[in-house]
Amino acid sequence: MNAVFCTMLLAGVAAAAAQGDLSAAQDALLSGGTEAVAFFMSMAGAYAFFGGLLGVLRESGVTQALAGAMRRPLLQLFRFAPGEEQALDDICVNLAADMLGMGGAATPAGLSAMRKMAAAGKMNGCASDAMLLFLTLNMCSVQLLPTTMIAIRAQAGAKNPADIVLPTLLATGVQTLTGIALCKIFAVRNKAHD
Amino acid sequence: MIDSSCLLPALVFLTLMSGLHARIDVYRAFVRGAREGLMTLLEMTPYLCAVLTATALLRGTGVMDAMQDALAPLLAALGVPAEAAGVVLLRPLSGSAALAAVRDVIEISGADSRAARFACIISGASETIFFTGSLYLGAAGVRSAGCALPAALLAYAACVAAAGFLISP
Repeated sequence: MNAVFCTMLLAGVAAAAAQGDLSAAQDALLSGGTEAVAFFMSMAGAYAFFGGLLGVLRESGVTQALAGAMRRPLLQLFRFAPGEEQALDDICVNLAADMLGMGGAATPAGLSAMRKMAAAGKMNGCASDAMLLFLTLNMCSVQLLPTTMIAIRAQAGAKNPADIVLPTLLATGVQTLTGIALCKIFAVRNKAHD
Repeated sequence: MIDSSCLLPALVFLTLMSGLHARIDVYRAFVRGAREGLMTLLEMTPYLCAVLTATALLRGTGVMDAMQDALAPLLAALGVPAEAAGVVLLRPLSGSAALAAVRDVIEISGADSRAARFACIISGASETIFFTGSLYLGAAGVRSAGCALPAALLAYAACVAAAGFLISP
């Protein structure tokens, strides 16, 4: 992100200098921070509301129940190398939390799963098939309810803020299934090369 | 077709039922969660400040328009509205940057425009691929993402194309 940020600023200032109009750049630079704080204020209510709902779901044990229901299918999906299956519980919690949009709960479980799988394999610096598949799943979204996007649309006065839910789910589904399929295909091709 | 305006009330109802069923203090749980949500937003704000400053500069000086014009043919082929090009490019890099870009699209094109709906769908349906990748690989002490990065990026392209198809008039 560092390189992106610096490039954006440099390109903007350079373009302003080339046009000989630095006042436009000055106005733009001073507006950014104000916009960020205004955004915080306008979104705070929705974040608190959705955070509250997720808090109730978490403390009612819904995440745990979802993780339990996913155990068997996930065991089929991941072809664990010996020893790697001890990461299964963490994987279930990670994906269940991700589906419910609880990034804060998903990340620690996900990192713990990666560490357990890395410790199980003897592959000096290379990732196993199961690790790559798990990584791909985390790089594709599995979130079921795009709460932030509903909130941002509600705040902007959309006619029906939640009407993006179905297309978002479909796009997520396409992405995740493509990711899994490609990961499996690449794994088979690597085997063929060895 | 189910009316999606009943989605949130239904979610609240189901959440309440699960809380009552588990016999937890629903009020306390809600307050704890709300505090967490606010903290998430607060932690994100400095990042938003950086990104919004940079994007405001690029917009104010005309660089953004030039970039969109240059990319327009490629993105049009995928069915991406030109105004939402920035979101497509930023989403894999940074969640807060993409959020800032979505906000811009909504402000410029209107909340119910095709571009804004597309931007929201893309953002809600995908992940910060590069950040997640480096975080998870770092935890495992693995250097190369192997096939996971090309798989995830191609899957993202499929997601963009799917979203373009879904909002096509």
